[in-house]
This record gives sequence, structure tokens and C-alpha cells, in this order.
Amino acid sequence: MKKLRLTFAISSLTFLVMLAISPLKDFFREWKWYQYEYNELVSDLPQRVKPAEIGIKQLWIQKLDRIDRCVTCHLGLNEPALREAKQPFRTHPKIDHDYEDFGCTACHEGQGSATTYRESVGKVVFWDKPVFPTEFMEASCAKCHKEREVPHAPILTLGRKLIEEANCIACHQMNGFEKQWTPSLDGIGSKVNRTWLVNWLKHPKAYFGKTKMPNFLLTDEEAGILTDYLMTFKSFPNNAALDGLPPALASEEERAKLLELGSTRFREARCISCHPINGRGGYVASDLGKVASKATAEWLYGYIKNPKRLQPGVEMPRYRFNDMELAAVVAYIQSEYVDYETAELPELPPQIPNPAYFEQGQALFKKYNCSGCHELGGMKKAEEMGPELKFIGGKKLYEIDFGSSNIEQTLPSYLVTKIKNPRVFSPVMKMPSYEFTNEEAQAITVAMLGNTDERIPEELKVYPKPQSTYSPQGEFGTLVEDLACFGCHTMFGRGRLVATDLTLEASQAQKGWISGYFKIPYSLRPILTERMPNLFASDAEIKVMVDYMEKVFIADSLERNIRAGRDEISKGRILYYEKHGCQACHQINLKGGYVGPALDNVGSRLKPGWIFHWLKNPQAFKPESIEPNNNLTDEEAEALTAFLMSLK
Amino acid sequence: MKHVMGRLYTSQLWRSMFRHGLPDSNRTRAETIFYNFFLHIHPTKVRKRSLRYTYTWGLGGLSFGLFIVLTVTGGLLMLYYRPSVPQAYWDMKDLQFVVSSGQFLRNMHRWAAHAMVAMVFLHMLRVFYTGSYRPPKEFNWAVGVLLLVLTILLSYTGYLLPWDQLAFWGISVGTNMARAIPFGLGEKMSFLLLGGNIVGENALVRFYVLHCFILPVAGCVLMGIHFWRVRKDGGV
Repeated sequence: MKKLRLTFAISSLTFLVMLAISPLKDFFREWKWYQYEYNELVSDLPQRVKPAEIGIKQLWIQKLDRIDRCVTCHLGLNEPALREAKQPFRTHPKIDHDYEDFGCTACHEGQGSATTYRESVGKVVFWDKPVFPTEFMEASCAKCHKEREVPHAPILTLGRKLIEEANCIACHQMNGFEKQWTPSLDGIGSKVNRTWLVNWLKHPKAYFGKTKMPNFLLTDEEAGILTDYLMTFKSFPNNAALDGLPPALASEEERAKLLELGSTRFREARCISCHPINGRGGYVASDLGKVASKATAEWLYGYIKNPKRLQPGVEMPRYRFNDMELAAVVAYIQSEYVDYETAELPELPPQIPNPAYFEQGQALFKKYNCSGCHELGGMKKAEEMGPELKFIGGKKLYEIDFGSSNIEQTLPSYLVTKIKNPRVFSPVMKMPSYEFTNEEAQAITVAMLGNTDERIPEELKVYPKPQSTYSPQGEFGTLVEDLACFGCHTMFGRGRLVATDLTLEASQAQKGWISGYFKIPYSLRPILTERMPNLFASDAEIKVMVDYMEKVFIADSLERNIRAGRDEISKGRILYYEKHGCQACHQINLKGGYVGPALDNVGSRLKPGWIFHWLKNPQAFKPESIEPNNNLTDEEAEALTAFLMSLK
Repeated sequence: MKHVMGRLYTSQLWRSMFRHGLPDSNRTRAETIFYNFFLHIHPTKVRKRSLRYTYTWGLGGLSFGLFIVLTVTGGLLMLYYRPSVPQAYWDMKDLQFVVSSGQFLRNMHRWAAHAMVAMVFLHMLRVFYTGSYRPPKEFNWAVGVLLLVLTILLSYTGYLLPWDQLAFWGISVGTNMARAIPFGLGEKMSFLLLGGNIVGENALVRFYVLHCFILPVAGCVLMGIHFWRVRKDGGV
């Protein structure tokens, strides 16, 4: 009985102590120490900073349905005096969003309701979204910012661009991307030779470093069978056929005579504005450095003659060469752009006739969803080939199969690894390798992490501007299509920006200058690789285009009559050389800097109204222009315009 | 002092609560026991050997003690917890992160619940091995079995309330097991439990009401009967 009582006494005491520990633990909670530390830190500062009231603090962001208690310890977020204090007290870097409006976890993730360090960072069980590492932070911008270029988010913007260019949506469903144009494979059997195709399929980037075609990691056997299958497609889209070679290209001697003309025309046509040659030159089209070892002469001849006939939708202009010039250009390409490495190798032996090659080739074509990008024989695109990625950023950890890899088990590290090495988690995966660099893989991951199904109020979302529906009609429309103007120029929001935006071209440039420019294009800034090619358009065609531009690519508000008397001109000259020092960047008569375009003959190029309005506010026309806005008065701008217009 | 106490014992207030006089005769002694709600459960006599601690190990008493702990902590938890889908999980997180000693309350409730299941089960084993279920105590054994079932049900219904993945799937599995009841009763049973076909808002409210009201009240009634019988049969 005594022993029993003793036991009872001891256990009662133990329980009492345990009960006492709990309120003590509660009293000395982690965040309190941070708040005491903050108050101590603040009292030592020379500036007067309000000390924190001891207690849990929280931000309630009703519109995002979030409660963030991070501010319990991050006490100096709004305190400029703490810009260099240690964490968690440091000032929040300046951003466009006020953290008091958006809270913390909407961008940073982590467990907002927690009040301890470990729990709030969220690398704990039962919390799927730990705090984003800095390099993936921009993913949060993507939740609301659906526009193409997100301000202050270069990594996200790059990621979106890469996803679009790599045509990920050919296999994966994702919102906000446009399908890229890819060449049709109809007629490939008449276009390329077998050796090239086998090597291309095995490693596309070995032929053209910047190709968008990924490496499907085919075995030699697979590449051979797929090549045999593809080589059977001899006829082009819409039943177009090759015309055969003209006599001028028939023999070696005939071709040699044409080389000089071909070389001249090749340069005049500025092929390298779009096509790189062995990696150097434009970036819009494929590399021509070894094209003679890839494509047949018949195809080159037929294609340059009329690109869209053999490859509908391609953005290559139809140069107005005559038959002789055309043959000369092909002869030049054939003599110059040969792959000397494979030319010396023996031709790959033809595949041992495999009676089932067609079925097997077709099966491979379907297995790797080639029709996701390429048209072939009217085959349909496979549906839902890869997993849907619309909401990949919200994927839960338990839904991810990390296979036998031993990477850190988080969603970002899964995505980076998968993008860099697509088949690492399971050998049965079919995704091809894009050979992305670490930075690119990170950027794509950032863009993908932003694809969540999180409910965000519509009014917070920023959508891209709707696509331009501008589509010129009539003769001009036909020419724009035939000369592939949209491939480089933007007009009313449609097209690429390799070259200038033409929307206000006729307000800017004089009619005579535009006509002359079509005839002999020259570069205003000679350092650029991309230059306007000579399209060899006829006078009648040039007149159609210039007339149309004078009617449409013009804004009445930019018209202005400038008095150009001797007084104004001399006043403008003084402003140019003395007050504003324009010669620091612009040249006249080979004197001055070369940051901006030379201004010789600018009076016969630009319209006075344009010069006036440009000088008043350059960034209104070209936001990225580095020309300073000098806040000129109307009088000054008019005088400068008068001076510049006198330079004929 | 004696005078004051005398005044108290004869006051109307005292007499309204205790109608009998001081236990100074056999009659008033008996009345003291019979008229008192708390005392009337006492047996007329207790065998000396049943007082030995190792005879019962106090397992029934421990179970009842844990039940009281659970009632008190549970009542406090109810102050912070709202059984609705958008709030349940976050209320639990708030208990963990914000409420003073909230985590302690939760842990105490949780561990006491685990311990109670264990205690009730051990109690049943003890009763079995000491043969205490034998006539004339069969009825109380049956009540005890019901109490065991109630304990397990209380434990199970409490499982859903945190409204996390564990809870959701635990209850999904459990109610799918109910679905296996033959004679077409399974679907009905599962529907009745969940208030629908899936674990959702209705299921949460149902489990909350079961956990905090229906099952504890049923438990109290059965416990009353159980203890009454134990005492009247000469147990402690």
C-alpha cells in the first residue's frame, strides 16, 4: 500500500511538471524572441524607428483568400532604415506591388498561417508549397500576369518565349501559347537525301545548332526505319511537283559559268538576313551552311522559284529572279554550301529491305507524335499525347513519380531535371531532348510553375493584348503574302519585329525615298546583320506598295508644316551643334558619333512632321529608343526640324 | 462555530438540497445515501478482495478519467473549431500556431483518445480473464461491449475533423467498407453516414455532431448504467 502511494505521488508530480511545461512553452514562443530582438535592434539605430508591439501580427488579404503571419517576425518590411539589417528584419526590396495589398505567400509561397520558422518556410510534411527559392520566384508573377512580356520578370518572359518556340503545345495542353509554324513533311522524299535525313533524325542540332527540332534519341535502327518511311513521301502539298532542272544547271561546266552571277544575287538578296551560314547570320530561318549536302538541286531550284508552292505558309519571300538568275543562285549554293565532312564519308548503305518498314516507320512516327508539329500525308495530330500542363504548377508532391533519381523532392527540381533530361525518371518516357542550358531549363520551369489553378480574382489578372486581325487585301495584300513581309515587319500589331514597325511608315518617310529603298535597300545602321533584302520587285509592284502605304500607313496627327526660312535653319544648326550636342551620337558628313543613324540626306528621307514629333518625344514612337527626351519647346523642335530638312 | 453550522443545517436553502437531517441515526444514514445522486451509486457492501489494486488495475477508472479529460479538452477545442469545409483545416492550423496552448490542447485530446481506446480494450481483457462477465453480470458485459464500440466510433468520427488528406481518405475508406454491407443496405448506410455520396461538407457536419453530441451522450447514458451495475454487484 505504501509503495502504491509512493508511485501515485511520483506520477502525480511528473504530470504536474508536464502540465507546467506547456504554459511555459506557450509563453516563450519563437516569434516573441524575434520581436524582442527587433526592438533591441531598433533602439540601437540612430534613426527613430517605432518598436514593435509584442503579439502575433497578420495580413488578411481578402481578395486572395490568404492570411499571412509572416509579418509577426518580418517586422522591418516597410522601414527604410533597416535596408541592411539581418533577416528577418530587412526592408522589402522595392517592387510594384505593395505587400500589404497582396500579402506574402501569394508570391513567396510557404505556410502563411504558421508562426514558427520551420513551419512557415514550409519544408515540412503536409505542406506542398514551401517558400520559392529566389531563382523560381518569378513563377508567382505568372499567376496573374498572362501577358507575353511580364515587366520586371525577365526569367518568366524568357521561359514563356522558349515554351512557345519549342512548340511544347504540340504535345502538351497549355494556355496562352500559339502553335509555331513547322514545315510540312510532304515531299521530303524528293527534297533531301537519305544520309542527311538519317543523321538529322539522330541529332538535329549537329546539322543546325539553333534548330527547334529536338533530339528524339532514336537508335540507329529506328532512325533508319523512320528515314525509309519518310523517304516514300515524294509528292508535295496540294500535289505540287518539281519541274526538273533547267539546262543551265545540267552539267558541271554550265554551272561554273553561273557562279559569279549567283554569288552577286545571293548577296543582293541578303539571304543571310534570315538564314545563318554555319551559325553566323540571321536567326529567323534555317542554316544554309551545308544545305547543298541536304537538299537536291531540283528542290532548291523549285523552292527559291516559289517557296510557298512547295512549303505552304513558309515566311520566305518569292524573289523576283529571272530563270537565269535563279539557276545562278542554285549553282552558287551547290558549289559553296557543301558539308565537306559528310561529303567525304561513304554514303550510308541503304537499309536492308525490311518488308515491314512502312508500318514500323509509321508506328515510330505516331509513337513520337511527329504529327504534333509536322504535317505528313494528311495524318491527324495525336490528341493529348503528353500530359496536360495547364495546371502543372499546382501539382501535389504525391502525384509526382521521382523514379529512382535522387534529386531533391520538390516540384521545381523535378521540372528542371525533366526538362534537361526528359527520360531520366523512366526509360519508357517519350519526350525528346531539347538540349536546353541550365538557365533555359530554369526559365521554362519558372513559366510552368506559374500554370496553377489557383483562384485569382479576374480583376487582378493581366491578359495579353488580343491578336491583331490586320490582313491587307487586294494587290497589296497579295504582295505582302508573296514577299513574306510579316516575317520581318510588323504592321498594325501583326508580324515580327526583326525589322521596323511599318504602321506609321508613310508618316515617317517620304514617298520617293521608300520607292528608292525598294530598289536599292541599304542599312541605316550598318552594324545590323538583318537588313532589308533586295526583292527585285518590279516598278509596278513597288508603286502598288508605296501607294498603299501612303494611304494606310499614315497618321494625320503627325502632319505639320514647318517654316524653313534661313533664320530657322541657322537657329536649328546652333541648337543641333551647341545647345543639344546631337553630333555626340549622330553623324553628318562623317563627323559625329555612331550611336544613332547618320543624318546625311535626312531631309530627303523623313517627313518634317515626323521629325518634329519624334524630337518632342522619341519614346512615344519607340519606347526602347535611347534618344534623350530634351523637353524641346515647339519653337526649338521646329527650328531643329528646319535644319534637318535642309540636309538633302 | 457550532452555532453557525447549526443555523446553516436548518436553513431553508440547505434543507431544499438535503432533506434528511444529519446522519446521526440508521434511518438518516440510509437517507444520506439514497437521497444523494452521487452517493446512491454506492454498493451496500464491498468485498475486501475486490479492493485489491491488482484485481482490477483500475482500468475502468482510468478509462473514465480519460473520458473526462477528453470532454474537457474537447469542449475547449470546440470553442475554436468550425465544422465547415473552408475553415476546418485552417482552424486546426490556428490552434497549432496562434491559440494559447492550442497545440497542447490538441495533443492532449489526441493522446487521451488513443489512450482511452487502449484502456477500454485492456479493461475488457481484464474482465475476460478474471471471468467477471459470468452470470449474473452478463448484461453489464454487453453494456461494456457497447461502450467499447462507442469508444472506437468516437475515435473514428474525430479522425475526420482536421479535414486533411489523412482524414479525407480515412473516412473514404471507412465508409466504402460500410458500403460492403450485404442486402442492399451498404449504399444506404454509407449515404446515411456521409449525408451524400462523397466525403464533403455534409459528412463533416454529420461526423462533428456524432463526435461532439450523439456519441458522447450515448456513452454517458451507457456509462451510467455500467457504473451502476458495477457498484451494485460489489465492484469498485
